[in-house]
Amino acid sequence: METEFKKVKRRRPQSIFQRLKNDAQWQAISSVALPMLLGIVIIILWQTQALHALFRTDTFTLPLVSKIGSIMFDIRGKLWANTLDTVKVAFIGLAIGSLLGYGVAVLTAMFPKIGSAGLSIIGAFASIPVVAMAPVLNNWTKDVSKEASVRSMVAKILVVVLIAAANMGLNAYRGLSELKPFSEDLMKIYAAPKIVVLLKLRIPNSVPFIFTALKVSVPASIMTAIVSEYFAEYITGVGRQIRENIVLAQYSTAWAYIATACLIGIVSYAILMIFQSILLRKYK
Amino acid sequence: MSEEKREVEIKIRELGVTFRDNSGNDVQALTGVNLEIYKGEFIALLGPSGCGKTTLLRSVADLQQPTTGDIHIQGQTPKEIRLQQKFGFVFQQPVLLDWRKVKKNIELPMEIMGYSKEERSKRADEMLEMVGLKEFANHYPRQLSGGMQQRANIARAFSLDPYVLLMDEPFSALDEFTKEKLYEDLLKAWRATNKTILFVTHNIQEAVFLSDRVCVLSPHPGRLSAVVDIDLPRPRTLEVKDTPHFTELVTKVRNSFEGGSV
Repeated sequence: METEFKKVKRRRPQSIFQRLKNDAQWQAISSVALPMLLGIVIIILWQTQALHALFRTDTFTLPLVSKIGSIMFDIRGKLWANTLDTVKVAFIGLAIGSLLGYGVAVLTAMFPKIGSAGLSIIGAFASIPVVAMAPVLNNWTKDVSKEASVRSMVAKILVVVLIAAANMGLNAYRGLSELKPFSEDLMKIYAAPKIVVLLKLRIPNSVPFIFTALKVSVPASIMTAIVSEYFAEYITGVGRQIRENIVLAQYSTAWAYIATACLIGIVSYAILMIFQSILLRKYK
Repeated sequence: MSEEKREVEIKIRELGVTFRDNSGNDVQALTGVNLEIYKGEFIALLGPSGCGKTTLLRSVADLQQPTTGDIHIQGQTPKEIRLQQKFGFVFQQPVLLDWRKVKKNIELPMEIMGYSKEERSKRADEMLEMVGLKEFANHYPRQLSGGMQQRANIARAFSLDPYVLLMDEPFSALDEFTKEKLYEDLLKAWRATNKTILFVTHNIQEAVFLSDRVCVLSPHPGRLSAVVDIDLPRPRTLEVKDTPHFTELVTKVRNSFEGGSV
């Protein structure tokens, strides 16, 4: 502490690095530019086979970027169909799970005795690893439909639902119950009924927490969908194609699907961030 | 003062509040408080921390249940008055909702009461004008200074035209310059509306400057130890603080604490 104090007193001229660090505009640019720069550097190292030399591997196991790109273009129809299947599972599961989790959180905030049990059960389910849950839910949903594609879809969605519900439930409950000091007293002074407290205080207060939950559960839902596909009965989806192609030693095709999985993750996260910057403008 | 003619607004009789602390012991926050407050009076509840002044205020507002004794406001219980939304309460912190613009924050109690949109907007504009925040109606609370936030808080408390305005150390977090400006604004608003005000503070000068009567509370156990009449002329301006009579009253209030000066 003391040494820091002295530093402030002496007022050393700030270095360029420090000055840039404090510049908001530079920060905004660099937070996008620096990761992109890193990505470009890696792609260059990859394409020039510097990575291959580093990891002592060959272009068969780790195909060149250009090769992966050309394969992605060649199989674009199949790629798109599989992407749609994965995205469908991830987002239907995310939507149902988030709504369910938020509902349980509202119930818990309104009636703590009933709700806290529900919240604990959801939390317990979510702590089961996806690789364990997926085969079990596959088994449970055997009788849902005669169509293998339908019952596989249901099983995969259920896994995502559980993950997303736990995430949303725990975060939203915090947002609904961690209120500004005295704000509940304020509502009480004006004799606001419980439902008004929910609508005018608790729910608006929980909005930033909804985004905290989504920032984790959007990528988690995609990941869960991909992993669940490994265990599903019906063969479809980006994750399943990665597995199938690796088994067949078609590494280039497998890499095309891996790249697609990355793109799904990045694009959906970017969409979420755009929504957040619009909807949270009021908050900070 | 011809107090016989004046209407008693709040009647506090043998009020006692006992809390149970974490180790299971009963702590007497307040005991045997008797007080009659007249309509339109400005009462300061003054005391060191732990004397039960906030507990007394919260009991009047029905935010705290008394263990013994009772409170009547215009012959009704605090709960009945609260359910009619006839209290205005200014908290220690400006409890403004971050996601609402200043004007919308002031409209909140009226929204709860179900006022029409036009009525809310008109009344909120009046209140903003009263506390000098007209230009900041469409700002978010975070864009306001601490003093301006507390002004908005006061405007909200006045908005429902309450019987009684309860203020819990509203200016304790503000700097001296902002405070002095707000004193004058508060007194102006009080004169204009003729509300009964209960004002909790631990600042002797603040209590003497603002109020008609200073109720001195002493701790362990919290009790009302003296009531000092403040006969400074009204309307008061900050110059009053420089008069010998002001200093006399401050000394008188200070000496009325039980268990020595604080």
